[in-house]
Parts: sequence; structure tokens; C-alpha cells
Amino acid sequence: MNGDRRLFLVGLSHKSAPIDVRERVALTGDALKAALCELKAMEGVSEALVVSTCNRVEVFVHSERPDAARRFFTERSPAAGDHLYAKDGVEAVRHLFRVAASLDSMVVGEQQILGQVKEAYGLASAASAAGSYLSRLCNRAFATAKRVRTETEIGRGATSMSQVAVELVEKIFGRLEGRAILLVGAGKMGALSAKALAVLGADRILVTNRSPERGLALAAQVNGSYRGWEELQRLLGEADVVIVSTGAPTYVVTRESVQAAMKARRRRSICLIDLAVPRNVDPACAELSDVYAYDVDDMERVVATSKQARQEEAIRAEAIVEAEVMAFAKEREARAALPVLAQLRRHAERIARAEAERTLAQVGGKLDDKGRKSVEAMAQAIVNKLLHGPTSRLKEAASSGDSALPGAAAELFGIENEPAGGERREGGAEGAAAAPGAGPVRSQGT
Amino acid sequence: MSVIILRVAAAMYAAAATSYIVYFARPRLARAATAGYWLLAAAFAIHAAAIGVGCAEFGGREFFSLRGGLVLMVWLLAGAYLVLQRRYHLPTVGAFITPLILMVLLPAMFGDPGHPGVPPETLRQKSVTIHILTAGLGVALFGLAFAVALMYLLQEREVKGKRFGALFSRLPSLDALDKLNQRLVRAGFVSYTVALVAGTITATAIWKSPWSWDPQQIISVGVWILYGAMVQLRHTGWHGRRYALLTLVGFVVVLGSMVTLRTVPGVTRHAGDYAGSAHTGGAQ
Repeated sequence: MNGDRRLFLVGLSHKSAPIDVRERVALTGDALKAALCELKAMEGVSEALVVSTCNRVEVFVHSERPDAARRFFTERSPAAGDHLYAKDGVEAVRHLFRVAASLDSMVVGEQQILGQVKEAYGLASAASAAGSYLSRLCNRAFATAKRVRTETEIGRGATSMSQVAVELVEKIFGRLEGRAILLVGAGKMGALSAKALAVLGADRILVTNRSPERGLALAAQVNGSYRGWEELQRLLGEADVVIVSTGAPTYVVTRESVQAAMKARRRRSICLIDLAVPRNVDPACAELSDVYAYDVDDMERVVATSKQARQEEAIRAEAIVEAEVMAFAKEREARAALPVLAQLRRHAERIARAEAERTLAQVGGKLDDKGRKSVEAMAQAIVNKLLHGPTSRLKEAASSGDSALPGAAAELFGIENEPAGGERREGGAEGAAAAPGAGPVRSQGT
Repeated sequence: MSVIILRVAAAMYAAAATSYIVYFARPRLARAATAGYWLLAAAFAIHAAAIGVGCAEFGGREFFSLRGGLVLMVWLLAGAYLVLQRRYHLPTVGAFITPLILMVLLPAMFGDPGHPGVPPETLRQKSVTIHILTAGLGVALFGLAFAVALMYLLQEREVKGKRFGALFSRLPSLDALDKLNQRLVRAGFVSYTVALVAGTITATAIWKSPWSWDPQQIISVGVWILYGAMVQLRHTGWHGRRYALLTLVGFVVVLGSMVTLRTVPGVTRHAGDYAGSAHTGGAQ
């Protein structure tokens, strides 16, 4: 019989370790696969999972002792030791669920982390490092993340300037097919926003800059076409979204120039996004009708609002995670019903066989082969008939998550002294979630 | 009997409105929008039955009264929105339309069905039926445009004023609302034009003259010119806020004239008394 195993987590993240420590232990591709095999080969480890992203490296092991996971880090970087956190049992389960649901991310509610955890699980499966326990755990984590995403609004709202730009433009124009984006100035934020806006499918990106060299370089970078600085006024009549980020200390786009441009564009709406500080777009432009003008402060305010809203949604998300952690723990506990069932059956069959042998020893001589077989069959039939009810009820209990019945059955039939029952009582709630009867469960091949 | 069926329809409209408003408040509940759609479809069908039974009961004369006109118009409005929803999938618009339907329907439900009776022989012709239906549809489409324009203006205020509240995340883009408004105005104008043509044919037939300075005629032509101008203005680049405001004004004129002409006694021969040949139409 295997020893008692439970889930251990050792890891570091953006919350506990600086980037130079994280990058030393981060792993990808083949190195990650090798590390998984290495972990799996360690003594007492039955399953392993490594989540390695730019913000976190976390090692989950299903094992008898926690040291395997810790060794993973200390072997790679001694400096990592000071930044590690360790959790086990329900705590570790909760941690994985929170990570997958993006509650532990730098930007709460961001979408990438779930994909990264899925990928980590895929790798662990491919390397045969993840077995039945981690498979159940991860699937539950994915389901939890999905629930959080659909039942709360944690992923809503833009959390970066360029996302805000995309949201604003989408709100005004919908898709950008048949429209043009104009980049004024070669600022970095402008280029980022232009790239982000590509999702809306603009037909053309125009770039203009005081110095043609940088303008041309930027145009190449964003797949746009460069136009001379002197064309600015004409370009304002052409483009529907204008992103301004020059280093100029004054207004590059004035109220008068926009007013003239509106006439030229027959009052078609225009969106002016000013990413420069000091501002490059005269705030008075916003007073003109069909002109939508935003500056850095406006955008920052949107970012702050949606971050705040996400924090509020996170409270609801935590409740979902908690419920799922508890459900997972209960399910694990109920799985203890299956070993009890197997023991019960073994116990009964042992008795039946012994009794049949005893009977045959006494009267076997008077029976032919057929008669002997009948006696054995009768003993087996009695066992089957007697255990039919308890068997189906215990199976039902296991699938519905009821944990009281298996305990009662074990006690009633006097098989409680076997490992599954004993450990569970001792481990308390925490042990129940991660480990109960892990050995027997596995030995029965459930 | 038809009043009872109409009340059932109103209850369905109320349920649809509730569903759409729930969807508006909680956009994640996509099922609420689906429920709203089917409830509205059911309400539309029951409403149709109420109109049919009403025809049999009152002889069809009720359509010449304000009550009957409104009942018919909101039925067409519901139908127009159902078509719109199928084509453009704009469930948030439902949260604006269904309460409007309900509001118009409520007074009609408890009001007096007017003077029941079979319309005079002279009015029982195809051109009158076409006139009533297309006029009703035209006004319903103008009403739909009104709701869309209202959504545009509310959202425009948020987007321009940099206040990103509840509407911001729920309504379609300004551009989409603007284009939809334009399409509805155009479709309504076409329907209204047909109504005027059918009306002219009828007038020529029963009043011996296509034009008799009847206030209803004057206002109808005024409305037709107003919406015709809106269709034209679009080609000269009018759009957005100004266009939306114009749409609001247009519908207020339409609805205002409808109510006034039907409630002031004797002002128009369209009120149900078609017997006279001159300006002597009595109270309905």
C-alpha cells in the first residue's frame, strides 16, 4: 500500500520575488519537460505540475513530502529560497484555483493566465507527470475559472491606455473597416495604441512626424504609410481616428484646424486621442460637435475606474473559488467510499471462500465435480446478493459527494482499521481535501 | 372579448419589457434577451388576435379612433422591432421599445373602445385598408427611429462628456445607432408615402377631391415633407447628433398631431365621421 500523499505547492510570483529572481527559475519548452520528469522521479512524488509564466513559477507536487518542490527552486537558484511561499492541502488547492481564475494576477481579471495554466497542465500530461489526481484538480480549476469569468464581471473594462483607446474608438465607430487611423508624432504610446487598434480592422494607418526619418521608421513598424508633416491639415480631413503623441510643448492640433477639417470631412465624426504631456490637442476641440477628444487624464481615469470595478468583482469571484474548493474537497472525501467498498467485498469474499472450502472438506468426497462447483457458486451468489444493495448505495454516495455513508459502512462491517478510514479522521478538513485515502484510491485504480 | 385578449397581450408585453430590462441591467444574462424576444413575439401574436377579434366585435370602425389607431400602431411597432431584432440583433434596444409599447397600450386598454360599428360602405375599400396599415407602419418606424435616436443622444452625451456609465458598455456604437436611425427614417418615409398615395386615392373617391384643406391632410403632408427632408439631408452629410435631434422633433410632431386631431372634436374628417362631403365632420 502507498503512503499517504497530499498536494504541496512551492512557488514564487510577482508578489514575492523581483524579476531577476523569477527569470532565473522560469522554464519553457523542453527544459520544462525535463524538469517535470525530474520532479516525477523524485522519491515519494507521484504527480507534478509546473506553472511557469513571466509573473510566476509554481511547482505543485502530489507527494508524501514537500521537499521535492522546494528542491526544484534551490537547485536552480539559491537566491530563490528567500522568496518562496509554500502551501499544502486545501491551501494549495485554493491557490491554484485563484491563479487560474486570475485573482492572483498583476492585473486582476486578465485573460491570459487561464491559457497558461492550461498549457502547463497539457505539458505535465504529455510528460506523464500529471495523473488522475492532478487531472481532477486542474479540470476543477479550469471550471472554476470559467465560472468566475461568466458569473462575474472581473474581465470587464480596459486596464491599459491602449485598451481604453480601443474601447473608445469602438464605441464611436464600431468596426474601423473603410476608415483611416492617423498617427501624429512618433511617441511610443502612440505606436502601441495604433497596434492595439489593429483589432478593429482599420483600412489604412497614416503616419506623420516632424522628422521624416523617425516617421518613416514608425510607419514601417505599424504597417502604415508616411506622409509629410506639412500635410497634417489635409490628413485631419481624411482620418477618422487621430492619435497624437509628439514631444511638442504646444498644441499641434488646434480648435481652428479641427473646425476647418470638420468642414472638409463634411462633419463626419472624428476621434482625437492626445497621449502627449504637455498636451498636443487643444481641449477646446471637444466643444465642437461630432468631435470626440480625449487626453491622457481621461484615459487614466477610465483605467482607474475599471481597476476599481475589477477589485469589487474580485470579492464575488473569491466566493465562487471558495465554493469550488469546498466542493472539490468534499468530492475527494467521498472518493473514500470506493476503497471501503472494495475492502467490504474482499472481506466478504474471503469469508465465503473459507466457508465453501470448509464445507467441501467435510462433504466434498461425496460430490462429483459439478456438485463442488455448485457449492462454490452458491457461496459466491450469497455474497453478491447480500452486497448488491450496499454496493449500489456506496457508489451513489461516492458520486454525489456524500462522505458519511462510507464511514458508517466501514464501522458497521468492522473494516475501519484499514488506512483509508483512519487517516481521514486524523487529517481533519485540510487532509480531507488533498489527501484522504489517496493510497487506497490509487491502488484500486479508480 | 377583444379587450380581454388585449390585456393578455399587454401582460405579455410587460413580461417582455421586464426581460429586456433585466438583460439591460445584467448583460451577462443572455437568456433574458432571448426570453424577451419570444415573449414579445408571443405578445405580438396575441395582440394580432385581439385586433382580429376586435374587428369582428366592433366592425372595424375602431381603427378610426385614437384608441384603435394607437393599438394598431404599437402592434406594428412590435412587429417592426421583431424584424429589426432578427436582422441586426440589438437586444438592448428592446429595453427602450417594449416599455414604450406598454405605455402607449395602457390607456387604450382601459379606454372606451369608441363607437363600435361597421364603417360606412364608402370606406370599405382596399385603398383605405392600405392607407391605415401603411400609415400605421410608417408612424411605428418613426417611433422606432425615435427610440434609436434617443439612445444615440444619451450615449453621445456619455462618450463626449467622458462619463462612461451604464449605457457605455451596453449600447451599440454611435455609428451603428446613427446608421440604424437613418434606415428606419428611410423605411418609415417609404411606408408613409404609400399611405399618402392611398389616402389621396380614397379622398378622391369619397370626397370627390384629393385635397380639401383638412387639418389631417395638411399635417400629414407637413410630416411627409419633414421626413422627406431628413432622407435628403442625409445625402448632404447630416448625421449624428443633429440628425438624432431632428428625428426626435419629427416623431413629437407626428404623435402630437395624432393626439390633437383625434381629441379635438370636429377638427378633421379623419376622426371617424366620413359622411359629410365638406368640413362638417362631427365629433366621433
